[in-house]
Amino acid sequence: MKSLVLGGNDAVAYAVKQSYVDVVSAYPITPQTSIVEKIASFIAAGEINTRFIRVESEHSAMAAAMGASAAGSRVFTATSSQGLLLMHEVLHWAAGAGLPIVMANANRAVAPPWSIWAEQTDSLSQRDTGWIQLYASNSQEVYDLVFISFKLAEEVKNPVMICLDSFLLTHTKEPVAVFEGEIDGFIKEKKWKALLDVDNPEAFGALAFPKDYMPIKIQQFERMKKATAVFEKIANEFKNFSNRQHSVIEEYGDENAEVVLITMGSLAETSQLAIDKLKEEGIKAKLVKIKMFRPFPKDELKESLKNAKNVIVFDRNVSMGKGGIVKDELVGALGLSNCIGIVCGLGGYDVDEDDLVKATKDVLSGKIKEDTFLWGEK
Amino acid sequence: MKIPKDEILKPNHLACPGCGAALAMRLALKALGRKTVIVIPACCWTVINGPWGKNYAGVPVFHTAFETTAAVAAGIKASLEMQGKDDITVVGWAGDGGTFDIGLQALSGAAERNDDIIYVCYDNEAYMNTGIQRSSATPIGAETTTTPAPMLKNRPKKDLMELVAAHSVPYIASATVAYPVDLIKKFEKAKSKKGFKLIHILTPCPPGHKFPEDKTIEISKLAVETGIFPLYEIEDGRYKLNKKPKFTGIEEYLKLQGRFRNISEKEMEVIKENIKERWRRLEIKFEYFN
Ligand SMILES: Cc1ncc(C[n+]2csc(CCOP(=O)(O)OP(=O)(O)O)c2C)c(N)n1
Ligand code: SF4
Repeated sequence: MKSLVLGGNDAVAYAVKQSYVDVVSAYPITPQTSIVEKIASFIAAGEINTRFIRVESEHSAMAAAMGASAAGSRVFTATSSQGLLLMHEVLHWAAGAGLPIVMANANRAVAPPWSIWAEQTDSLSQRDTGWIQLYASNSQEVYDLVFISFKLAEEVKNPVMICLDSFLLTHTKEPVAVFEGEIDGFIKEKKWKALLDVDNPEAFGALAFPKDYMPIKIQQFERMKKATAVFEKIANEFKNFSNRQHSVIEEYGDENAEVVLITMGSLAETSQLAIDKLKEEGIKAKLVKIKMFRPFPKDELKESLKNAKNVIVFDRNVSMGKGGIVKDELVGALGLSNCIGIVCGLGGYDVDEDDLVKATKDVLSGKIKEDTFLWGEK
Repeated sequence: MKIPKDEILKPNHLACPGCGAALAMRLALKALGRKTVIVIPACCWTVINGPWGKNYAGVPVFHTAFETTAAVAAGIKASLEMQGKDDITVVGWAGDGGTFDIGLQALSGAAERNDDIIYVCYDNEAYMNTGIQRSSATPIGAETTTTPAPMLKNRPKKDLMELVAAHSVPYIASATVAYPVDLIKKFEKAKSKKGFKLIHILTPCPPGHKFPEDKTIEISKLAVETGIFPLYEIEDGRYKLNKKPKFTGIEEYLKLQGRFRNISEKEMEVIKENIKERWRRLEIKFEYFN
């Protein structure tokens, strides 16, 4: 293990380099581009034995990834925002086919108007495509999650999307502990073999009549649901190599908190600072950061929120006409009556810990009584 | 030349009687053999190959989204190459809609990269799977459900061969089921070459073109003899004509098919004019680029 100063994108590229990836197929989009540029440079320098398919669109990037995976390769791709949306149809195909593709998505706002800055509406719009979704909060998590994702994808037979906030994470450099070979025991062996086999010629994805379609989809649902437990198991194995623990949800702050803040991605780091400030002011608060959004960790959240008097969800995303998507999911899953959703930081709009502290106090004092947006002149 | 005996396509496939697209696959597989993987997008072949749990093609089939054929095939090939499995032929098998229209971008991408795949367009000149709507491969004067008379298709068929030729790929050929030996030879040639190969096959469709199901061969033969569907190859940029047309029987070709029943005198003239003009350009290529 050594320490390098890496942005989130570098961390992804480094982890992919160390993950025995056979095929990468990708198309450039800001702010994802430097991931695949870096991978290309590793290939060009002969540092890894990986094939790079330089496709003509994200739609084809996912299609080629799907073909390569079906033929038995370990496959990686990366995208963001408009690119992810262009892939939408093929995301369903890849998940429906149960292919263990791993993709990094730089969470970037969706046009119009054009924006290249952070927002999670792109990936959250894909929540029903059947992909496992993980959200990272810092470059170390991004790096670690790549290894965990390949294992998870191959074991569950389901694609995994690792989400990292545009610029806040993709381009912000921080020290990252990287492996020097010791991770081989974790990642080298592939638990995946080709679907397409000339000695056993089967067809995949054929037309299914209603009597077949429904059970197939239930099977897919059950397979995906298992991912929560499998993630925990693999994360424990990962701890042996790294001494770093990952979990589907993670807490920070006072266990018996009267107010619980919930968020995903880089906002979780900001929230930790807010928790510390609230503590200084005598307010018992904790953060619950959702690392795995799909499958939704309902049981874990229920347990974590059982004593909470107030729950505030900070969503850097929005479902038009409804509100924050994570808030909606949480209330849908747990039926909370004491939950306020606050949509903030859309299109990279700056949110700092003081904003979160103020919003939290406004909820506790009754000044904020219902779901709202957090913004104002900066 | 002997036609290989091995029948890889299973006889219980689900094509309509007289389907040119089914026959095309049967012949193609004879040339390609069992070490072949096929990618099939949304099209009649999605149905022909059998429902969930069936696989009448007899070789591995990956069903995929309408517009992804070439990209998926490229991914499969890259993966096989990474595993050192160099003896497996990867084939994208798409209809005219999935090739000329929605799949054109992925096709162009794979051709430009010179991915080592065979891309086959079986061309029944309309979207048949969704019930006979016009595609950009539908010829002038044809009636479809989206070009009902008197609003017949009024633009010439897109020229796929020349479009792909503009990508400088190693091998491009047209074929039709009326000339099985020619078709098989072309698949064998395509299989033996590295890089991107396109085979464009005219496959008459009895319900779509509205003709009796025993006329498939006659119609595909007429398409070649009239000059409507030229049989030729472009090998490393060199043009080669495989069958010289007689340029007769155009009226008969059109009359045999209900889809042309509403064409006017004027449209007939346009059709004849288009055939002449296409051949004028082609012959220059046969002469100067051979
Ligand atoms: C994105 C998308 N748009 C539309 C369709 C509907 N669709 C399925 S098959 C088809 C027509 C296929 O036509 P063609 O490629 O010519 O093949 P054919 O059915 O004639 O064999 C269409 C429009 C689809 N499956 N996917
Ligand atoms: S509609 Fe035409 S192309 Fe489709 S299966 Fe029937 S005959 Fe073949």
